Amino acid sequence: MKEILASLPRLNDKYSIFSCITEDAEIGDSEFLFSAKDGMTSKDMMTRCGSKILDGYRPTFDATAIERMRNAGGKLIGKCNMDEFGFGTFSTTSAYGIPKNPFDLERSCGGSSGGSACAAAVIDGHISLGASTGGSICCPASFCGVYGLVPTYGRVSRYGLVDYGNSLDKIGLISSDPERIARFLPVISGKDTKDSTSCGQPKLELKGKRIKTIGVPEEPLAGVSKEVLSSFESSLDALRSMGIEVNRIKMPSLKYAMPAYFILATSEASTNLASFVGMRYGQQDGDLSLKFDDYFTYFRTKYFGEEAKRRILLGTYTRMAGFRDRYYSKALKVRLHIIEYYKKIFSEHDAVLTPTMPFVSPRFDEISKMTPIESYSADYLTCPPDLAGMPHLSVPCGYNRDGMPIGMQFVTDHWEEDSLITFAKDWDSAFDVRKPEVSL
Amino acid sequence: MKIGLEIHVQLPTASKMFCSCPTTDAEAPNTHVCPVCLGMPGAKPVLNRKVMEYGIMLAKMLNCKIPETTWFSRKTYFYPDMSKGVQITQYDNPVGGKGVYYLHGKKPIGITKIQLEEDPGKTKRVGDQSSLVDYNRAGTPLSEIVTDPDFSSPAEAREFLKQLIADIRHTIDLPGDGERSIRCDCNISIGKERVEVKNVTGLRNVERALTFEAIRQTKVLKAGGKVERETRRFDEERGVTISVRKKEFEADYGYINEPDLGVFHIGELVRSITIKESPVNMALRLSREYGISEKTADQMVLTSMNLAATFETIAKTTGSPQTAVSWATGTMAANWKAFEASGKDPKGIVDIMEKFAAGKITDVETDMELKAYMTGADIGAIKAQSADLNQIICSYLDEHPEIVDEIRKNEKAINRVIGHVMKETGGRYSSSDIVSATKGALASKL
Repeated sequence: MKEILASLPRLNDKYSIFSCITEDAEIGDSEFLFSAKDGMTSKDMMTRCGSKILDGYRPTFDATAIERMRNAGGKLIGKCNMDEFGFGTFSTTSAYGIPKNPFDLERSCGGSSGGSACAAAVIDGHISLGASTGGSICCPASFCGVYGLVPTYGRVSRYGLVDYGNSLDKIGLISSDPERIARFLPVISGKDTKDSTSCGQPKLELKGKRIKTIGVPEEPLAGVSKEVLSSFESSLDALRSMGIEVNRIKMPSLKYAMPAYFILATSEASTNLASFVGMRYGQQDGDLSLKFDDYFTYFRTKYFGEEAKRRILLGTYTRMAGFRDRYYSKALKVRLHIIEYYKKIFSEHDAVLTPTMPFVSPRFDEISKMTPIESYSADYLTCPPDLAGMPHLSVPCGYNRDGMPIGMQFVTDHWEEDSLITFAKDWDSAFDVRKPEVSL
Repeated sequence: MKIGLEIHVQLPTASKMFCSCPTTDAEAPNTHVCPVCLGMPGAKPVLNRKVMEYGIMLAKMLNCKIPETTWFSRKTYFYPDMSKGVQITQYDNPVGGKGVYYLHGKKPIGITKIQLEEDPGKTKRVGDQSSLVDYNRAGTPLSEIVTDPDFSSPAEAREFLKQLIADIRHTIDLPGDGERSIRCDCNISIGKERVEVKNVTGLRNVERALTFEAIRQTKVLKAGGKVERETRRFDEERGVTISVRKKEFEADYGYINEPDLGVFHIGELVRSITIKESPVNMALRLSREYGISEKTADQMVLTSMNLAATFETIAKTTGSPQTAVSWATGTMAANWKAFEASGKDPKGIVDIMEKFAAGKITDVETDMELKAYMTGADIGAIKAQSADLNQIICSYLDEHPEIVDEIRKNEKAINRVIGHVMKETGGRYSSSDIVSATKGALASKL
């Protein structure tokens, strides 16, 4: 562990994993190392959510998930780079360094928990806390060739997770080792009186339940690149050979999940970001003799990134009087519909399976040419389970000609993390997961 | 003239609405604060159950429809004293909707809704150029009661508030200075357009602000002008309202559901909560159910709600409300203070009254037994005293039969008897004894 700690600065120079690395080089009584997305508060390190607006912010409290990891013997080694407030698919909107893909430094780690997936890929046996609102764990796990688990909404306390879309946000785990995910999910799960939405959960029980039947919806496959599709199809064969029944199904309603997700996420995000006005924490700068709203405007204009501003505008629009019913209220209904829809599928199948991302990780020069709509659309496979609050898991399932990882995503019914974890363990012994070459 | 009110009442919880910070006065600014009420990133609100209970009690008091599920909403606006940039309030499905409250038991005032919300912090101006913000108040629980525009005069609005505050105080045990913590937004329209006077504190100021507005709007209309739809504030010193912002600048609060709190299934809780009957309602009910005058019922309830309750028991067990009321407002009312101080069971009073109703004891004996029981005095002494008093009264009444006739027509004439007896006995008996003895003696003659 000491060697890993010592190597962090060099790792960071190469991959830009962390926005902040622990200054405490002592291992002490710690039994394991872990990292966390910078959207979670930490007492001993700054918490900036990839945003200039929170520069200098040192919270007075640990996020419950971080606190529970520490209590279990964990040492927090660093806070991982992320898209500003989680707003992105490629971690390119971070103000503190853009994590680079360990399989090709010219490519993205995915996002928004890009730093966490990168840490999981390059540090042996590492476990990282990520957070997902609409694909933010599965996408980077897929791009970096590691396992990413998003538990059911409400399974892990969100106390200390800086809000993006509160009704969608989930803390989850990213690692190259499914055993680690199995070990630490019970650590971070469970009711927390500081987060009401964690208090309705049934007890987490990992009993080794197996997925026996899988539904593969046909419609989403139309938007997937050839190389991803061919790798996905051969994985289906591998699943069959593991004794899992694979059925082609239809889920036409899934296409409504993405717009509903963006409306709810931006509506909530635009209210969450209202607290950042340069008054109480983080960055402070500007002419205090201005009228308060002029000061707020100056400050927010200067310190929010472009994508944050775009989402504030979108989210403010969708909840405005006169538009609220058309967008926000309707999206709430769509979410209920999608949940019902999944439930129906789960009465016949144990899991729903799709590729995780429609393409392998793009190069940074390709990303810079994408329009906002193009990059939002990249999340169309990961958004539905996140919108429905269903647990989901991305596992590596292949590599393209350039050796870039491809992932597939399993979704199970609410509170059914058990079968996802069992599957990840089974798959890890059946599939040859590649490790990136890490030379420093 | 149409007037409607929005009344903010602070709920008497020990801790804040969404965190465990105390609601008591703090010694220094920004000391009763924590990550939650300061809106620190990552902190989450958790509802104080007591707030919901108080909300339900008030909703019941206002005869509101209470839904099976209720939830909170975020109201977004920028202001330095709003720590989160959003206020947690209720918008869809508040704890109480569509209710009705009777002013003086007669005039129905529609209750649009009652909702629960958090108070922001306080901004304090220091000097010309700067302000300081104190978040001690941030997160204090409030209920907002919104009435329909059912008041026809400023005085009526004030009367309503007075009655409402007394009822709220009784229902949720609001502390004595409750009135000070009550803030009111007053809506008033003389013509078509409505004007809102925000944040008026105190009953008197509500009436003053509304009266000023009524006159101002009338003048504008008479001069052929148009009343503009706007928000105004009340300047207490000068007694005038001042325009704050015009309608076109009214904020759009962009309400969304508060996602950190979820949906509250309150059906069970609602059914488990019963509220105390308010003094006003009790008086009205007694008057209605037992055929006694509203004034008498009011008088009993004002003496003590327990006295009124004892009256009700006696009226029921004896089947004679008229007898019960004359004893309750006579001997019983006169000795009620001493009785409550003694901590004795009202059942003893009921027993004596039952004996009387059954004809086992005379009215004089009843009077003496009640006094003895209620004050704990020796019955022998009371007997002697009472016999003496009774004799003086009766002989006076026998000498002046015309007074009895007069009292039948006008009960105030009783004062002549009392005056005479007081003079005669020269301070030997307390005035309350004389009054009750006189009433007792008269009871058999009227």
